[in-house]
Amino acid sequence: MAGMDPVWWEYIPYILQGAIWTFTLVGGGLALGFAIGVPVAMGQKYGPTWLKAVLDAYVWFFRGTPLVVLLFLFYWGVFPVLLGIKLDALTTSIIVLGLRSGAYQSQIFRGALNSVDEGQMLAARALGMTKWQAITNIILPQALRIAIPGWTNEYAIILKDSAICFTLGVIEILTRTRYVVISTGEALGPFLFAGILYIIFTYGGTKVFNIIYEKYHIPGLVGKGV
Amino acid sequence: MVGDEIVLRVENIHKRYKDQEVLKGVTFEVRRGETKVIAGPSGAGKSTLLRCINLLTKPDKGRVWLEGVELTDPETNINKMRQKIGFVFQEFNLFHHLTALENVMIGLTKVKKLPKDVARKKAEEALLTVHITEDLWHKYPAQLSGGQKQRVAIARALAMDPVIILYDEPTSALDPQLVGEVLRVMEELARKGVTGLVVTHEIGFALEVADEILFMYGGRILERGPPREVVFSPKHEVTRKFFENITKLYGGK
Amino acid sequence: MGFWEEFIPLVLHGAVNTLWVLVISIPASVALAIALGSARVYGNAPIKAIATAFVVTFRGFPLVVTLFLLFFGLADLGIYLTPYQTATLAFVLCGGSYMSEYVRGAIRSIDIGQSLAARALGMTKFQELIYIILPQAIRRALPGLSNEIIYQIKYSSLAFVVGYEEIFAVSKTFISRYFMPLQVFMVDAALYLAMTTAAAYGLRALEYKLRIPGLEMSIR
Repeated sequence: MAGMDPVWWEYIPYILQGAIWTFTLVGGGLALGFAIGVPVAMGQKYGPTWLKAVLDAYVWFFRGTPLVVLLFLFYWGVFPVLLGIKLDALTTSIIVLGLRSGAYQSQIFRGALNSVDEGQMLAARALGMTKWQAITNIILPQALRIAIPGWTNEYAIILKDSAICFTLGVIEILTRTRYVVISTGEALGPFLFAGILYIIFTYGGTKVFNIIYEKYHIPGLVGKGV
Repeated sequence: MVGDEIVLRVENIHKRYKDQEVLKGVTFEVRRGETKVIAGPSGAGKSTLLRCINLLTKPDKGRVWLEGVELTDPETNINKMRQKIGFVFQEFNLFHHLTALENVMIGLTKVKKLPKDVARKKAEEALLTVHITEDLWHKYPAQLSGGQKQRVAIARALAMDPVIILYDEPTSALDPQLVGEVLRVMEELARKGVTGLVVTHEIGFALEVADEILFMYGGRILERGPPREVVFSPKHEVTRKFFENITKLYGGK
Repeated sequence: MGFWEEFIPLVLHGAVNTLWVLVISIPASVALAIALGSARVYGNAPIKAIATAFVVTFRGFPLVVTLFLLFFGLADLGIYLTPYQTATLAFVLCGGSYMSEYVRGAIRSIDIGQSLAARALGMTKFQELIYIILPQAIRRALPGLSNEIIYQIKYSSLAFVVGYEEIFAVSKTFISRYFMPLQVFMVDAALYLAMTTAAAYGLRALEYKLRIPGLEMSIR
């Protein structure tokens, strides 16, 4: 019987195609997380007290709850039961990854905002800038740069976490690897291959972020570390 | 050079931080073209006073007028008025992500909304005025020396065509050998008739350039008058002690 | 029996199982991290290379992949681990690798004078590491380690993929009987939030207790 099974490496192209879904999850999650994280951080730093409390609660919930619980909570609970909308696994996964990454990204970005020294705001206001002008022209451009290493990290985290979306059946790398394991009866090879694929994607992506960092970092200015 | 027209009037400014009253009613005025030096021991409230003038710090009580417009009036658009008040910080506070030239331009383009080419021209002029030569225009703050940074900061203030420039201990964060280049620029500006209000310990500068010294002590102006009078024959014992110590410390030029 | 009467004891049983893994895996992860971190700074070239490869591998693999590899992959080689063993081992390999980065960074941040003084006293490299460097480095690494410990608490929910009966596993099975996903998974979330929040406070208290007076220690 075993002899008649196809060998697992014949499925490599099939597994590799999963990268499209993996990167859809990663790209979507990071982008949504960015769109959420930056305003959340600004709200936490510059907003009124009630808003800070709401945002703190959001961050606490999404940072403190495991991803797999969030995925099931939203896929089976929040969207269909609470909101009455049926979303497919991919959309749900992107939204949940994004909501959670937003909580983490807000922390990264808040750290970056805090590391821009007070004098920058003072000097901007002294020139006659409004608070909003000072934030958009002076504080944000610096904080966004300082946050790049943090985002590099976040990319590596979300890439690996995207594998957890196999639990909802998104046909990304790990889901496909499991199909291969089931249909070939071999586990070691396929799972090792998948693991190495994630390592390659982690390092490749990190390289891209490093190039961005090199391009935009401010000469002579060492970020105070986030 | 000094006219009769009062450009800045500060009246009865009070400021308290928690249990400490930093300013206990300060009143003075500055005329167009004048350079006034505020001196006094640390903790006298000098820096707080400067920040109360452009409302970076809100005074608890008292009023400030610039060219007849009351800044402390809640109806006044403070951002509009701050454009007319240059401010030079002890720690420079150049914008880290902008080059020297961009630092000087940003107030012109974003606040004054000048077209880029006009802003650039003005910024270049201002930089040349403070002797920042073209080779430094595209350097980032972290690539400049302290003296260069502070001169760029002065150019940033100057380019806005301010009615007055407030200097908050502009040389205190500099290495001794870099102090001179900044003081020289400030002196040149003063001689050109740029109105200035300077918090400084540099007695030499005060004696050379200032029209009047305000000596602050314990949140009040204890004594004021022509520099030579205040420094060499003060009315109060604390004033005499202060200038005596400072002359020893700074070697009084 | 109603939903709550059935679910609460079940999920608490799951929570006990979760904790049963963590009480072993967390201290073991820290121990592995110290060994790996030290090896990467103090080891000779081959040791450094091995430790680095180890860390790169288990930081690079998603935890679910490691779980599958240990459970199904090792079975291909005739090594059969129970779900409990698999989960514990996977958490230690993954957690230890992540934590070792903080240990390594902390060791390297200890100023050279400490090392010179230790050697001037006649200490061997090993003595220097054990008595001088690590006691300082571990304190410095503690905030980072705390973060990783909190991650491990959350990621323990992935043990369900190899059939370990922890909080999430029992919940997932339970909703096929009572389809009340909102309630079930909110209870899960509450349990994890309670654990992570309690751990965060506990670890901060520990950091405070271990601090060296007058020395600003934390690095992240």
